Amino acid sequence: MTCSDIQRALPEVLDGGANGVAAEFETHLKSCPDCSDLVSDLKLITSEARQLAATEEPAPRVWLRIAAELRAEGLISDATIPEPAFARTSAAPRPVLLPASPRRRWSAWWLAPVAAGLVAAGSYVVRHKPAPQVAQQQAPPTPTTAPAPVTTPVTGTPAASSASVQAPAPQRLGRKSTPAKDLLASTAEPQVEPAPSAEDQQFLSVVSTRAPSMRATYENQLNAVNADIRETQAYVKRNPGDADARQHLMDAYQQKALLYQIALDRIQ
Amino acid sequence: MASLRRANLHRASIQRACAQHTVVVTLVLATGLASAALAETRKEYRFTVGANANVSVETQYGAISVKPGSANQVVVTATIKSDSGNVEVDQHQSGNRIEIASHLLQGADQQTGQVDYELLIPPDATLNLRSSTGPLSAERLHGDLTMEGSDAVMNVRNVENGHVHVRTMRGTVTLADVSNGHIEISSISGDIHLKSVTGPMVQASSGSGRIFYDGDFGSGGQYKFTTHRGDIEALVPVNVSADFRAHSVLGRVQHDFPLKPMHSRFPAEAGRSFFGTTGEAASEVVLRSFSGRIRLKQH
Repeated sequence: MTCSDIQRALPEVLDGGANGVAAEFETHLKSCPDCSDLVSDLKLITSEARQLAATEEPAPRVWLRIAAELRAEGLISDATIPEPAFARTSAAPRPVLLPASPRRRWSAWWLAPVAAGLVAAGSYVVRHKPAPQVAQQQAPPTPTTAPAPVTTPVTGTPAASSASVQAPAPQRLGRKSTPAKDLLASTAEPQVEPAPSAEDQQFLSVVSTRAPSMRATYENQLNAVNADIRETQAYVKRNPGDADARQHLMDAYQQKALLYQIALDRIQ
Repeated sequence: MASLRRANLHRASIQRACAQHTVVVTLVLATGLASAALAETRKEYRFTVGANANVSVETQYGAISVKPGSANQVVVTATIKSDSGNVEVDQHQSGNRIEIASHLLQGADQQTGQVDYELLIPPDATLNLRSSTGPLSAERLHGDLTMEGSDAVMNVRNVENGHVHVRTMRGTVTLADVSNGHIEISSISGDIHLKSVTGPMVQASSGSGRIFYDGDFGSGGQYKFTTHRGDIEALVPVNVSADFRAHSVLGRVQHDFPLKPMHSRFPAEAGRSFFGTTGEAASEVVLRSFSGRIRLKQH
């Protein structure tokens, strides 16, 4: 039995059928670590998926936690928190996931929804803005002689109190310094390199296991993308009416999703 | 006289020693080269296909190069670069669909797992290429083309009437003489070079990479270039016909030729954005960056 035969027989075997080839199947698995890993991954996914199938919606606490985090970042206010998914009618729109890559990927599937979730979260942040911010978007522009991040007073958002804080930003790994960036850094609140999120840690852990030589590369890229996200978030917080900046925030989330996809494709 | 003879003998012995050393070094080098060549294994696969074939090649480590061949045959030459036996070439045909993949076995690394592929395919075939290290190249084709890789340098030349989709982490992407297809390039930190690239939809985005466009933006397409930190530069001829919208949230924006003002719901911000038309406004060009510089220059 070859690896191709194994892949063809996999669905049947995982469903508990294919008794006729079970012995050959097991023999091949003993001699082929790739197929063995693949089968164990799929078995894990299958068992996890069965548990997931029991719930159609994420638990209410998930939505509440997302709302709390967005509120803490000042991106939404209490009055504008969208009704949580669990309270909507069945006809209400739900988060839309980006279409997945047309190629089938067998292992590390758990990160694909995470990547899609990043985009969905980005989309959520970008699109769900408070009404006063939309009004600001149509207001006349700030004076053109001075950059907006410096001169635009931000009011009515939780970021207002921190917008005028002057503190140097720490040097970021592998990032070139530009006047604009210095300008942004000098007007932003003190930036502390946050600890990687649980998803990022899990992602790096998978990369370490499957492609240890590439871990540093992916970690650098991930840090850079995360820094872009934070940088744009900080700007949007101070300039909530800037539709283009919000689009850049969405783009930055998409970049992160792309990094996840590329890394996971590579380490199959 | 005797000392002269001794000196001559000494010189001759030095010359002999040098010659012997040269021969030894040459032999060692030749042996090394020969063994390296012997370590390579070339395999050729031929598949007969109909119109609109679909060809996929996937290798973790190695180059993929694709050129047009005969209309009904796909020829794949795989060069396994090491004799370690750590990699196999899997190939599968299902009707018009052909899949080629490097299958890494335990212990394979970038050196022992490298397989380079050269393909000759029907020009209208749909092509999917994937390699982490690359380089990837395709030329003189007119089917749809997808390229993916993390570090791979990617080159696409003389492609028309097909969609071109490229995804990379940090490899440089170069497209030249590509026309009449949907083009979508996504990169995290790699540079993107587009020369004479036109089509109904051309999109390129990079986080920290630079986007450089040299061409006339066609006649009737939509062009969107986006970066976060990378610069965007477009070099266009005098007779370009397009609506231009450029905006950098924190970077500088420049253009060096007259643009007729055009309506925009966002007022132009001097130094940070411009909107304007030239010629008959045949194409729409949107250049966006968060903190990168944007320049629109005439040839």
